[in-house]
Order: sequence, then C-alpha cells, then structure tokens
Amino acid sequence: MGLMNGLDEKLVKKIPGAPVVLASAEWAINAGRSNSIWTLTFGLRCCAMEMMATGAAKYDWARFGFEVPAASPRRADLMIVAGTITTKMAPLVKRLYEQMAEPKYVIAMGACAISGGPFVYDSYSVIKGADKVIPVDIYIPGCPPRPEALLDGMIKLQKKIMKQKFTTVAK
Amino acid sequence: MNFQEILEKIKSKHEVLESKEDMGVLNAYIAPANIAKVAAFLKDEMQFDQLNFITAVDLPANNVLEVVYRFFSYATADTVVLRVKLDRAKASVGTISGVFRTADWHERETSEMFGVTFLNHPDPNRLILPDGIVAPLLKDYKNQDMTPLPKA
Repeated sequence: MGLMNGLDEKLVKKIPGAPVVLASAEWAINAGRSNSIWTLTFGLRCCAMEMMATGAAKYDWARFGFEVPAASPRRADLMIVAGTITTKMAPLVKRLYEQMAEPKYVIAMGACAISGGPFVYDSYSVIKGADKVIPVDIYIPGCPPRPEALLDGMIKLQKKIMKQKFTTVAK
Repeated sequence: MNFQEILEKIKSKHEVLESKEDMGVLNAYIAPANIAKVAAFLKDEMQFDQLNFITAVDLPANNVLEVVYRFFSYATADTVVLRVKLDRAKASVGTISGVFRTADWHERETSEMFGVTFLNHPDPNRLILPDGIVAPLLKDYKNQDMTPLPKA
C-alpha cells in the first residue's frame, strides 16, 4: 500500500485490461527505498524518548514505511541523531554512520543535533551540530520535537528519496 | 545531633580551622594533611557511614580551590561537610579512598574536572572525560572550540 502513496500518473501507467503497470525503474526503486526505511536504534539523549514514542503504538512510524528499528547499523538505512553529541561520542557516531550501507540518510533531531542547542555557549564537551561530524539530510527543530514533527521530517525524507537520481545514489 | 554538637565532637579530637553553618549543616574547614584522619574519625567514632560526594569549588579571586566532602549517617540521619582549602596552582590533597571505597571514583572525577591531584590514589586515571579536556570546570578554562556567551 505504501508503494502507491507516491503514485504519479505521469510516471506510472496502467495497462488497460491487464494486471500490469509500467513505470520507470528509477521511480520503482526510489518508491521501494523510501517506503521501507529501516531506522538505526540509536538514541543519544532526551530526544530519544520522543523518537521511541514515535515508533511506539500511538504514533507508529510503521504506518509510513519505517517498518523495523534495525539493531545493527549494517541493516539500517536511516540514522536519527536524537540528542546531544559530545566530544567523546562523536567518533562513535561517525563509526556507526560509516558502518551503514549505502544509500544512507541522516536526520538531525532536536536543537542539540542541529547546532548544539542549549549547550552552544561555554560548553567544553558538546559538538555544535551533527553536521560537524556526518552529512545530514533533514533537520528537525524542537527541544525535543514532538512525534508529529519527527514524522513530518521523516515524510520529507521520503519525498527527498523519491527525487534522487541513480547517478546521485552511487557515490 | 545539631551542628554545634557535631562541631564540638570533631574539635575534641581534631583541629578545625574554621566552621560555618549552611542550611543547618556543619561546614568544617580542616587542614589538608588531616583529611584522611578526620574522615576515619567520622566513620569509626561518629557513625558517618556514607560518603555522599566529593567535589570542588574554584575561587580564583582568593587563589583557592576548595575540595568539599559531604558525609551522611544512616544511624543518626546527620550530615556533615568537610572542606579543605588548597592552592589553586598546585592543588593536591591525600586520598580518602582507604577510608571510604566510594571515594575512589569521586576523587577521579574531581581530579579530571578541577585538576586536583589526590596523593596515593590507587587508580589515578581519568574517569569519564576523553583526552584533551583538562580541568574544564575551573573558572579560567579556555578551549578553542568553545563559543563564549555573548554579553547581554
């Protein structure tokens, strides 16, 4: 069902009288990727609470295709940086990102992961934003963001994936 | 026991340089050389069986670094705070981890956060901080990655 969310009449053609649709391979693969994103189970601080709430029954990100929280970075497509990155944690965040298989995406969730947030001034230990360590696709403001905001960011990521070209995926 | 009785009892055996009451709790300043002896006295003879925490206070205006020890007694529900004044430039005091085992980690944390050396410590390594961050809780700590708070 999720595959049909991004259905575009220009890109997908139904053959009349036959159980067949014609679509570009790019559209089909992007639709598959964007609707089966596995999220790395990885919370750094308090934003992880909202992330867990988003994954749990009330908000349930599985409705939008974020089916499984992957317990290993090698199975994950999406890393949600949910919290403050400290000087000590930064190398581990980078290593987890490097262990994920391409194509991979990063959401910076909350004020700390965007800029350092409340720790931006006079902090001896906080990295000022996840983008100082790893490339970030989506930024979600909030301290912490509500589950609706996280879902909105994740759906924006799906739209971003739908637009990507093959040549841009293989790095 | 109220703070006056605790003070008298400590004074009967050990020298107290100065003392003050802070929210009903005795704060006793003692000489750095005596800290292990006074801690053992509190534990063995006054039933202060728990060490709550060890931390430090940086007072650059007086060139003083105070190390603060807070003890609690489960037997009498009393609290007492010991303080030692150290020279900021070369702050060092003897360990009390021989008296309270929990002082081991408390002293390691105070050491990495304030640059205090605890003499004869059994494991004088860093506790939590990564390499490269030295004594960040001192008032004059500077780091090239730090953004100073703008003046309002």
